[in-house]
Amino acid sequence: MKKKKENKLYWRRLDNSAKIFPIAGGKKYSTVFRLSAVLKEKIHPKILENAVNMALEQYPSFKVRMKAGFFWYYLEYNPKKSIVEKEKDYPCKYIEPGKNNNYLFKITYFENKINIDIFHSLTDGNSGNMFFREIIYNYLELLHKDELKEERTARKIVENDTEDSYMKNYDKKAKGNNSAKKAYRLKGKKIGLGGISVIHEIIDLKQLQEESKKYEATITQYMVAVLIYSIYKENYLKYNYKGNKPIKVCIPVNLKKYFPSKTMSNFFSYITLEAEMKRDNLDTFDKIIEFVKTDFKKRLQEEEIIKTMSANVKLGNNFMIKIVPLIIKKILVRLSYIEIRKYTTITYSNIGRIGIIGKYKDYIDYFLMLIAPEPVEKIKCSSCTFENKMVFTFTSILKDNSIEKRFYKFLTEKGILVKIESNGVLDDISEEIK
Amino acid sequence: MIYPKKLSSKKGDLIFKIFLISSFVLGILLFIINKLTTPDIPWATLTNAGIIYIWITVFYSIKKNTNIAGHVLIQAIAISLLTIFIDYKLGFEKWSINIAIPIIIIIANITMLILTIVSYKKYIKYAIYQLIIVLFSMIPVILIGENILENKVLSIVASSISISNLILTLILSAKDVKEAVIRKFHI
Repeated sequence: MKKKKENKLYWRRLDNSAKIFPIAGGKKYSTVFRLSAVLKEKIHPKILENAVNMALEQYPSFKVRMKAGFFWYYLEYNPKKSIVEKEKDYPCKYIEPGKNNNYLFKITYFENKINIDIFHSLTDGNSGNMFFREIIYNYLELLHKDELKEERTARKIVENDTEDSYMKNYDKKAKGNNSAKKAYRLKGKKIGLGGISVIHEIIDLKQLQEESKKYEATITQYMVAVLIYSIYKENYLKYNYKGNKPIKVCIPVNLKKYFPSKTMSNFFSYITLEAEMKRDNLDTFDKIIEFVKTDFKKRLQEEEIIKTMSANVKLGNNFMIKIVPLIIKKILVRLSYIEIRKYTTITYSNIGRIGIIGKYKDYIDYFLMLIAPEPVEKIKCSSCTFENKMVFTFTSILKDNSIEKRFYKFLTEKGILVKIESNGVLDDISEEIK
Repeated sequence: MIYPKKLSSKKGDLIFKIFLISSFVLGILLFIINKLTTPDIPWATLTNAGIIYIWITVFYSIKKNTNIAGHVLIQAIAISLLTIFIDYKLGFEKWSINIAIPIIIIIANITMLILTIVSYKKYIKYAIYQLIIVLFSMIPVILIGENILENKVLSIVASSISISNLILTLILSAKDVKEAVIRKFHI
């Protein structure tokens, strides 16, 4: 009874990053990302449903729904049970609360695959991954009770909270470092009817590591360089771009690496690489990777990251912005959001290794991460690693998939083993590559 | 294969758009018929106001997230606006502000009172709507102050019911009201 009363009274403010998403978001800008686990056996929906409800007990910060206040949205306890459905829609679509028992995440399954689509206001990729792993652990434990008996007793929930770590760690005196230059925007016809093309490039990790070592680059740096090279060849040159706008790659950064935080709310920032293709004559892969390494070094400095984060926090913290009623904020932000997005060509989010412990690994083939493309940023990229497989994913609303093809061709020509999986929206790519 | 063969796009949206366009066309059609047949009686404006009212109700009803108190509030406001519009178009006899709106306020308050009594444990869900209904219920008081109303009795009764309702709910669920105000108005 007391717990029920406590639950009813539970609410929390949105963290500094999360505030913008429900105001700017909608069907066109879903701000949803997806994590998927491809298991080695077919999914049992009933067991999955139980696994999700168990995970919600373990991570109550996800058992919430969104409500509109007079000035800001906020999260409050959601008394309903979560829903598990068979996958039938495109990934990363706007989550309609009314059709999802008001949850801000959506669980779907197909054959051997479990998906979680998460609205970014709830959490970021890093914490979303923790919650998703919990669902997978619970699911496997329920399905293989005897085999995973020992693992189950040894496993512990990571200590967590929902503090706004931005507010705790931002530097009030730091000045912003955002570039005022607009980015080159990808050209080409759109798929239409709300279609999203998904192409996963499943890469042999060891071979990729060896190849990136040749350039003394990290895997992320190497992938960014291949991405810029593919955009340059297949979009920038192909559409005969005459302007001087740089190819700008936005890379989210997990701030938990820089500040101690146990939060399950958003706690990320980003760096934006600016490849001035014409000015710096970046016309070969070798030149591009050298540029990427140097720019990464410059922008990944703690000081720079704090500057970006602090500038964003200060904006959300501005008293004049705070006191504008939500309804007016919505109009203003939606008008300016399209303009803001013009400062990025593409986003690439690498959440790194998905750490699965013990015997659980034996039941999993690989993991996937996807982010929603937008009308302005027509392609988005993401990657994650499990065991010796790195899955690099393109989510796109463009009919032209030559960037994806060039990316694949480049890696395979270097002798790296790459397998393709797609959602079949642009069927020719999988056929051609296979 | 890790994706279903046919991924759906939302067809519901299309049906919704067809209905929306149809009612827009119907509105124009009624307007033209009115102009051609009985131009002295503006009945098409009234039917079009009715169509707008229906759409407000539909838009609000399909938002499954909204609780019952939200519906009471939106209906109270929408019907009040509709009656004022009809009254205005028929020569502004002031029946809308003298009779219709006070009655709407009384019904809205009685509904909220029943909601409070039946489910006062869930009152936190309704608190903010109750407060807005009380504010809305003060409109007749302003109209009395401005000496616009001819029949003041019904308006006084409506506003009094509203204030009594607020006092009663504060006695029953003061803590919830405070909590709801903190949530809704945090900056």
